[in-house]
Amino acid sequence: MKKNDEFYVPYIDGSLGVKTKQTLKRFTIIALLTIILGALLFSYTQKPFKNSTFELTNSTKITGVFHENPYPMLRVEVAKNIYKNILLLGFGKSSANPFLEKLQNQVKDLNGKLLSIEGNLIYYNGKTLIQITDEEKITLENQAISSIPVNESINNMTLQGEIIDPKCYFGVMKPGKGKIHRSCAVRCISGGIPPVLVTTDSNNLSQYFLLTDLKGGPINNDILPYIGKPSKVKGYVEKMEDWHIIKIDVSDILELNKKSNIY
Amino acid sequence: MGLDYQLVLWNKFKKTYDKIIVLAMLLYVILFAAITLTFNSETSIETLIIRAFGSLAIIMLHIILIIGPLSRLNSSFLPILYNRRHLGVSMFIAALIHGGFSIFQFHALGDVNPIYSIFTSNMDYGSLTNFPFQVLGFFALLILFVLASTSHDFFLSNLSAKIWKRLHMMVYIAYALIIAHVFLGAFQQETSTFTIGLLITGFIIVSGLHLVSAYKEHKVDKTSTNGTENWLKVCDISEIEEDRAKIFTIQNERVAIFKYDGKLSAIHNVCKHQGGPLGEGKIIDGCITCPWHGYQYLPHNGQSPPPFTEKVSTYQLKLENKTVFINPKAFDEGTEVEPCKY
Ligand code: HEM
Ligand code: FES
Repeated sequence: MKKNDEFYVPYIDGSLGVKTKQTLKRFTIIALLTIILGALLFSYTQKPFKNSTFELTNSTKITGVFHENPYPMLRVEVAKNIYKNILLLGFGKSSANPFLEKLQNQVKDLNGKLLSIEGNLIYYNGKTLIQITDEEKITLENQAISSIPVNESINNMTLQGEIIDPKCYFGVMKPGKGKIHRSCAVRCISGGIPPVLVTTDSNNLSQYFLLTDLKGGPINNDILPYIGKPSKVKGYVEKMEDWHIIKIDVSDILELNKKSNIY
Repeated sequence: MGLDYQLVLWNKFKKTYDKIIVLAMLLYVILFAAITLTFNSETSIETLIIRAFGSLAIIMLHIILIIGPLSRLNSSFLPILYNRRHLGVSMFIAALIHGGFSIFQFHALGDVNPIYSIFTSNMDYGSLTNFPFQVLGFFALLILFVLASTSHDFFLSNLSAKIWKRLHMMVYIAYALIIAHVFLGAFQQETSTFTIGLLITGFIIVSGLHLVSAYKEHKVDKTSTNGTENWLKVCDISEIEEDRAKIFTIQNERVAIFKYDGKLSAIHNVCKHQGGPLGEGKIIDGCITCPWHGYQYLPHNGQSPPPFTEKVSTYQLKLENKTVFINPKAFDEGTEVEPCKY
């Protein structure tokens, strides 16, 4: 031990000697500098966040034609003859279906019906989703059947990308992908949020594919082990206006041991 | 020890200490938020909170971990040790905000219980790069909770100093879990040489200081004593300073031999409060005073002066031509022993 003749006793006034005081001061300054350096490094080195948006405190009313193929969406006319399909989501990490159930029971088949939904918008890179928080905020506007999008067949394809939960990816969380976010994405998809495959090409253009099983039905639980990891997905691709759909057999998904390149 | 007097001054020191802790934590969070909002304004408020408090907690943990060895190497650091508990509790609060927000953000509002989800949402337990790192953070947070909640004096007096100390050694397990939590978690995705470098430097400093101070203690333990039968030769009387002690390891127990007023007394080295090294203390007003928090013991019987009731074991000494000998057999705690006069 370094010799120190000073002997500090907390309850003896004046026992805090000059040398001890100096050591304490020096320690405090170094600790504060460490704190400052830590704050600089940990905050400045964060990867850039995307301008994806979740309007948590703002509700918007949208009106469009409901269709479920296999995931519930609202087809909204954004300009003359230009349609956008807005993915419907439930509150938290849940599907929109329970919120639609009451209305569905009333009219038997909601497909093709005009609905208004008030909820929180989520959007990024041209895609829009809406969170429904209350079944009362869904109103049936018209009993008549309007046309719903018909899927165009494209081809069998093998795509490289990452499977994400679109709710977080398109706005609720940052980052809404990858390892940090995987647990949450698993909860979301397990809770009924549709899984989406994101691919990004060398020009940094991203495409979004709703994942379904080979028959076009929803997949949720079977895909959980593959979420949030770069992977190769093989399936039959179709186009549904502004979205793609890829019909897959989950066992064909191949994990790739490489860095994620999506956002 | 005037009890009231003691409390007042003690509190004044504690208050300064606590103020520094709170201000430093605020400074950290404000700086973190300001830099993030300036350079990376698209962040979300939850991510900001999770990251600011997680990184604050790990930096505080490093500071906490180096205080022990620093004060063993240089007694000027002891006043920081006195109140390390408050630093520990504050660090736990930062970690709790980080963990709590993470649990809410990533696991709540789902189809299963959030705690169950921590363990089951990512099942890649067999993989290193995909390992469910949040589980590691969860266990670390549990340990920190146990440590923070038993840091109150109530537990100190109800758990023996030995058990308490052993319990609090779990902080090293928590440290290991947290390092793994960060390296297998955030650093797999948010990879930056600077933050990785910072934590590696921190690890080197923490383990380096522990090794150096352990080496020093090891030397104490090897201080040789020799002799036959009942009496072990320990040292020359001139090796002990007036009103101070020298520590010897006698049959695996550390014993402090004090020199004061022309007398020598030996007591067990371990303070009953939190196991502070009495042999690094000093005789003040005729009492052996613990260097950690100032508990006092009478040298000739190992008892705290009334109204206190702590007692430590005592030993018998004898002097032959300036050479000190000790009887290795300890007396019961608080046994009166005639000091050895010289
Ligand atoms: C229930 C317990 C915990 C959970 C669920 C948890 C979760 C997380 C998550 C999800 C991240 C990544 C956040 C991001 O980068 O966006 C993270 C990072 C981190 N965690 Fe934890 N954690 C827990 C406990 C702890 C504890 C006890 C500590 C340390 C005292 C800690 C320290 C850190 C640090 C330093 C990082 C990296 C910096 C950061 O991104 O915040 N965590 N944790
Ligand atoms: S350990 Fe606290 S006074 Fe000795």
